[in-house]
Amino acid sequence: MPKSATDLELDSALTLSQAAIGCDFQIRQVEGPACSQLRDIGFCEQMRVKKLTNGRNMLCTVCGTRLALSKDLADQIQVVPA
Amino acid sequence: MSSSSIEARIALVGNPNAGKTTLFNALTGQNQKVGNYTGATVSRKSGTFFTPHGHKFELIDLPGAYSLDPNSPDEEITRNVLIGDQEDEETPNLILCVLDATHLERHLYLLIQVIDLGYPIVAALNKTDSAESQGLRLDPTALSERFGVPFVAISAMTERGITQLKQALRHPFPSPPGRLWKGPAELEEAIKKSTKLAETNRENNPAASGLMAVVKDNPEAKEFIQKTRFEYIHRAVEVGLQRPNEELLALTDRIDAQTLHPIKGWCIFTALMITVFWSIFKFAEMPMGLIEEGQETLQGWVRDFIGEGDFQSLIVDGIIAGVGGVLIFLPQIILLFFFISLLESTGYMARAAYLMDGVMNKVGLSGKSFLPLLSGYACAIPGIMATRTIPNNKERLATILILPWTSCTARLPVYTLIIPLIFVGALQQGLALFGIYALGTITALLAAKILKPRLGKTEPSQFLLELPPYQKPQWRHILQQVSERAFAFIKKAGTVILGLSIILWFLETYPKSDSDDPIVQQAESFNGQIGEIIEPVVAPLGWDTRMGTAMIASFAAREVFRSSIAISYATDEEDGKEMRDKLSASTHSDGTALYTPLVGLSIIVFFIYALQCLPTTVIVRRETGSWKWALGQLTGMTIFAYLAALLVYQIGKFLGYS
Repeated sequence: MPKSATDLELDSALTLSQAAIGCDFQIRQVEGPACSQLRDIGFCEQMRVKKLTNGRNMLCTVCGTRLALSKDLADQIQVVPA
Repeated sequence: MSSSSIEARIALVGNPNAGKTTLFNALTGQNQKVGNYTGATVSRKSGTFFTPHGHKFELIDLPGAYSLDPNSPDEEITRNVLIGDQEDEETPNLILCVLDATHLERHLYLLIQVIDLGYPIVAALNKTDSAESQGLRLDPTALSERFGVPFVAISAMTERGITQLKQALRHPFPSPPGRLWKGPAELEEAIKKSTKLAETNRENNPAASGLMAVVKDNPEAKEFIQKTRFEYIHRAVEVGLQRPNEELLALTDRIDAQTLHPIKGWCIFTALMITVFWSIFKFAEMPMGLIEEGQETLQGWVRDFIGEGDFQSLIVDGIIAGVGGVLIFLPQIILLFFFISLLESTGYMARAAYLMDGVMNKVGLSGKSFLPLLSGYACAIPGIMATRTIPNNKERLATILILPWTSCTARLPVYTLIIPLIFVGALQQGLALFGIYALGTITALLAAKILKPRLGKTEPSQFLLELPPYQKPQWRHILQQVSERAFAFIKKAGTVILGLSIILWFLETYPKSDSDDPIVQQAESFNGQIGEIIEPVVAPLGWDTRMGTAMIASFAAREVFRSSIAISYATDEEDGKEMRDKLSASTHSDGTALYTPLVGLSIIVFFIYALQCLPTTVIVRRETGSWKWALGQLTGMTIFAYLAALLVYQIGKFLGYS
């Protein structure tokens, strides 16, 4: 079955932990056990996110707010370049 | 203030760091702890205020929440109050939703959830001055149109817009705006059915309970609603907020590059902590000297004014020596609270939590446990209450159980009495104090590592923390907080410590001995008799009977150790001498020194580990819901403290130290 545009976009998506530092991304999908908590704090689909640091806990800004989140949580956020 | 004149109840809701507490203070004039990190407000606080139209309203400050789907016990309180499910709390008549204008998109998410609950709402668009300085252009009118609720631009910190906000809270309140989104027919039908069921069950807020029940049972519906709400916000913000193109978080970026650096960050953290402890000794020297001089002058006046006898002894050796012996530490306590408030206020505390997460993780906790533990350095009680912000139950319990090992300010009078007997000079003394705090903290962390796996299986902790932008210290709030704490300390000295000082003086003075020798009098007094009984227990720690009785008295309140020692030694002959000189000069009956460095160390170790605070035990019972944990903690920590002091003294003696 041919892939839809959304499927192709998701195929090219990275997790936030794989994303490069200093670049702007848009959140495509939030999926995993903590997805509800992540959405509540602002990591929701369509939101723009910028990754600031790497590491076990990484820093990023979403909706103008600076947040620190663990790698496990960042792995649940799929992003594409904005 | 009679509650009958209150016309309506308003609940203040908002995300952590939205400025709810500051707005609460600005509206009601009451003071409350203002923190710059997540979860400063953990308990209910209410106050009253008048609108310009003369209406009197009650304002309830609810714990900060990111959403109404709770992830921690304090978020649960907010949710329960809003759906009318909180014990002893009536449902509010209006919601005052505080939004941080500098992080509007994220904060609107809570507003849109509150709108769904069907309350009349007023939105306070806070920190508009900071938003303007960041180049953000806000349009409250457009936002009001989009969300169907009045938006009032304010700055709670500078009290700008407070009058307009009070005007917007006019009675009768605006009608509830109604839900802003619509789901597919199936979802709408489910919400309708669930609301009807809630009505039949006579729930306090059927609309809210109905919607929440649907979301709870249906993860797909929950995801749909979350996404739909954010889409709505996204569209609303396009018209209500204009952002500058350039990144204006440059200052915070630059500071964070240093403070969060894996090596430099730790150096800054350690340097800050050492500076704090050094300052506590250095800057407190002069005011402490003045208090001590004042105490001696007062004792001199009383001696001149009241003839020699028991009444003079009660005033001079009991009340003035007992209360003054504790009051002398007021400058150090003020300094400690000042530094903690300063670090909170500037935004550094959240960075400290970020740095500490790695360490905390190694012992099974997360950076979220660090903030309550840090509060524990001021007082264990707010620290234990702050654990409500920890979402993971086992992590929360482990944090509560180890928290009293972070040395609270009540121990400071004991440490600062004993340290100068062992170390000389402000730097050495400061480092010793830093070492004491470090020892308590390290032991607490090791205990967490041992305890956590024994508390049962649990989900791994996920670290998610907001780092607020750095800001100038809020001097007014720092001063408020420090003065509140100082006043509480003075009040305790004037009530609990005063009462206990009188009791201790009585036990020290009666029954009267036939001998004029103060040593014989002390031995024959009630205190002496109690001391004789417990001597076999405290002697292996290197302590004499006076230290033993002081230790027992300190289980009522730790500071009483200092008062008890002051009263015991006030009857010694060298009245003109300072307390520490008296302790240094005191000897055993065989003439050997009593307060040797090793004995001092044994006392300090005991005080680091003993849980001598009954209010803490009561709070632990309340927060854990079980006497098992509270009494287990009290017993365990007392036994551990005794064994640790015993080991220190006996090993030190074995190695030839005195």
